[in-house]
Amino acid sequence: MSFRKPSVLPGFGLTFGFTTLFLSTIVLLPLAALVLAAASMHWSEFMAVVSSPRALGSYRLSFGASALAATINVVFGFVLAWTLVRYEFPGRKLIDALIDLPFALPTAVSGIALTTVFAQHGWIGRYLEPLGIKVAYTWLGVTLALTLISMPFAVRALQPALLEVQRDLEDAAETLGATRFYTFRRVILPTVLPALLTGFTLAFARAVGEYGSVIFIAGNLPMKTEITPLLIVIHLEQFDYRGAAALGVVMLLISFAVLLTINLLQAWGRRRHVQAAH
Amino acid sequence: MSITLDQVTKHYGGIPVVNDVSLDIGDGEFFVLLGPSGSGKSTLLRAIAGLTAVDHGRIALHGRDVTHLAARKRGVGLVFQNYSLFRHMTVADNIEFALRVRHVRARVRRARRQELLRLVALEGMDNRLPAQLSGGQQQRVAVARALAHKPEVLLLDEPFGALDAKIREELRRTIREVQRELGITTVLVTHDQEEAFAMADRIGIMNLGRLLESGAPHDLYSRPATRFVATFLGAANVFLARSSAAGIQLGAATVAAAERPPDTREHEVVAVVRPEEVAVAATGAELGHGFVAQGVVDELVFSGALERLRVRLENGAAGTPLLAAADGGATPYLEVTRTQPEQRSFEVRAGQSVAIGVRRVHVLPTPLSSFAACAASAADAEALAHQPLLSELAARMKTRIAVRCEPQLGLGAAGPAGDAAFVGATVIASETGAAQRAAWLLERGAREVLVLPAQAAMPQRVLIHWLDEAARRATLAVSESVLRHVPAEAQYVGTLPAGTAEVAQDLARRLAQAPGQMLIVGVSNLERFAERFHALLDGGRWPLLIVYRT
Repeated sequence: MSFRKPSVLPGFGLTFGFTTLFLSTIVLLPLAALVLAAASMHWSEFMAVVSSPRALGSYRLSFGASALAATINVVFGFVLAWTLVRYEFPGRKLIDALIDLPFALPTAVSGIALTTVFAQHGWIGRYLEPLGIKVAYTWLGVTLALTLISMPFAVRALQPALLEVQRDLEDAAETLGATRFYTFRRVILPTVLPALLTGFTLAFARAVGEYGSVIFIAGNLPMKTEITPLLIVIHLEQFDYRGAAALGVVMLLISFAVLLTINLLQAWGRRRHVQAAH
Repeated sequence: MSITLDQVTKHYGGIPVVNDVSLDIGDGEFFVLLGPSGSGKSTLLRAIAGLTAVDHGRIALHGRDVTHLAARKRGVGLVFQNYSLFRHMTVADNIEFALRVRHVRARVRRARRQELLRLVALEGMDNRLPAQLSGGQQQRVAVARALAHKPEVLLLDEPFGALDAKIREELRRTIREVQRELGITTVLVTHDQEEAFAMADRIGIMNLGRLLESGAPHDLYSRPATRFVATFLGAANVFLARSSAAGIQLGAATVAAAERPPDTREHEVVAVVRPEEVAVAATGAELGHGFVAQGVVDELVFSGALERLRVRLENGAAGTPLLAAADGGATPYLEVTRTQPEQRSFEVRAGQSVAIGVRRVHVLPTPLSSFAACAASAADAEALAHQPLLSELAARMKTRIAVRCEPQLGLGAAGPAGDAAFVGATVIASETGAAQRAAWLLERGAREVLVLPAQAAMPQRVLIHWLDEAARRATLAVSESVLRHVPAEAQYVGTLPAGTAEVAQDLARRLAQAPGQMLIVGVSNLERFAERFHALLDGGRWPLLIVYRT
């Protein structure tokens, strides 16, 4: 395949130049500045900030809750996407539009709304209270908020993949003697697995970076319900820019490692297919 | 019997997409379901496979009733138009899918897979992914996959639709060979008549959800029973002609039909002439008995082996006019195909005047040849001819609507009918006095009278009833003919023990119960007809077709 292909957009030189400039200005440059700010710290100073018990606690909550939220969204996002793709029912378009709402809502609004509902005396919270389940101001609340704001990513990643799973495939499997469960496990799931991973990645990435909605529902108790982005803000409020940068670098590294792993996993899956062909 | 369908019916949104289909397919037979898109053939195939539940009727495979059995337990193999291979699996895994589901051991699976790959000529392709194969190869894999669990029946749903002509030909041959080698009963769905001819032991033709006819390709082609089959299966010139004891009168010629209709009385029939059965010559004398009329070559298309002519008939020139082309077009055209030897013996150019002859005429056994809108004034008759249901019916039957003015219509016994005999089904408007008019027409030789309210539309249900046993056969034949063109449910109304006056009232009550109903009623006794049918006919809001036979 030729590197330069005629297309409706202006020539390769111009578009490539723009791409590099754009990415550098709004992605690479700020990140470099972040790393630079952290690099000006002494190593022991850096380690003290990023491995303090409070920081370690916040990583656990931030990445743990994000992973949990992304997992929940992949499972229930699949059901949602399946319903929207496969069935015709009144109000389908409306529900489809509702999915995008968390995209558009200021995250603080989502946080406040969730707190209202799940607080001790909230609409749902008051029924959970007697059962001993506390949502607001616990890690559960954090997970809930992250699930809400990352849900559209999972659903929108899955929808096009599910559209591709034609009903004929299920019909074929059925005439060949497969039960529904077997068909799901052996035919549908493998077909949408790449999309599932993509959906997980997107939802996870979105959840890790979330700040606005979580701080309202989390209660922000150090070591317990304090997420890393909040800890960074706390450092900033104390004019400790270098400490904030140090935490930022750690988040950057962990996120990058997770995304890279998932990407490698997908690439490995694809390669396995190609290898099977030889 | 391998596959037995008994009155299988399936509705979608109240419309029957498969309507009362009964069919037997023998062991090892290659049966092709042929029909235009939307005719219900694919739905019927899916019903056999068990992927679509039927609303009514029974399906049996090898004598086992499977009507309510899940698809995965039916033991059928299904091949789809778009291959539907599992894209994340290799060819080997695809083929072994049905065997894995059944927990067959790996060694046995491998042996079966290799046997199938040999069968579809894809040896050594085991480890390819579907994406690495051409369309034709993918469909071969799909066939192998469908055969892996040794199904008793192989179902093919337009399997060649997505392939180009050359691959199609090749794959057709492979499938036919595989089918013969395994002796497996096979049903193929297609809209391509050439494909049907090339593959079928027997063809079933579907339209509007109904299975119209089934039979060996040659029989269906040379002796179709319905207009639809005659025109759908190859090209056909369809005419309205007169049949009498002497034969079929076509223009100047009276030709013996391939099969004589049993009715020797002079009447109108629908005649089919295949394009290759038309002869053209310089003069009528060269054609001898078969000479029909003069014509002018309107169009000439050379298409390799055959030459196609479109010849405009010059009506009236040869005495008796050739009845209009069945679709009511003003100038009848004849489609003619000629082989190379024919072309060499008599060359024609566009615009040339030629004599036309007919070698073979086939008469359709359909009892409804055409319609004649009849009223006391020409204007009323003309208006009736444009009634929407009548126009739609005539268009679907590809027949014409004549206009007939009877000034004396319904005026006592004295008034004579016009000179000409009644031709086709006579149509009158449903209004006060319609019973009187219907009686008047029937007494003067009309055999079918259709009474139409001005606003009547296509019925959803057709009630069928005969008052006298003598009219039973004709009523059934006419009903069948109507139902071929109307996607409606047929309902036979049993004879009531009470007197006939009450029967008419009971029928009227049933018709009034729901909209969208039509009645076909057979009678053989015209005594006090108007009085007896008053309730049904005078101002009825339903279409009603009276079949009169003694």
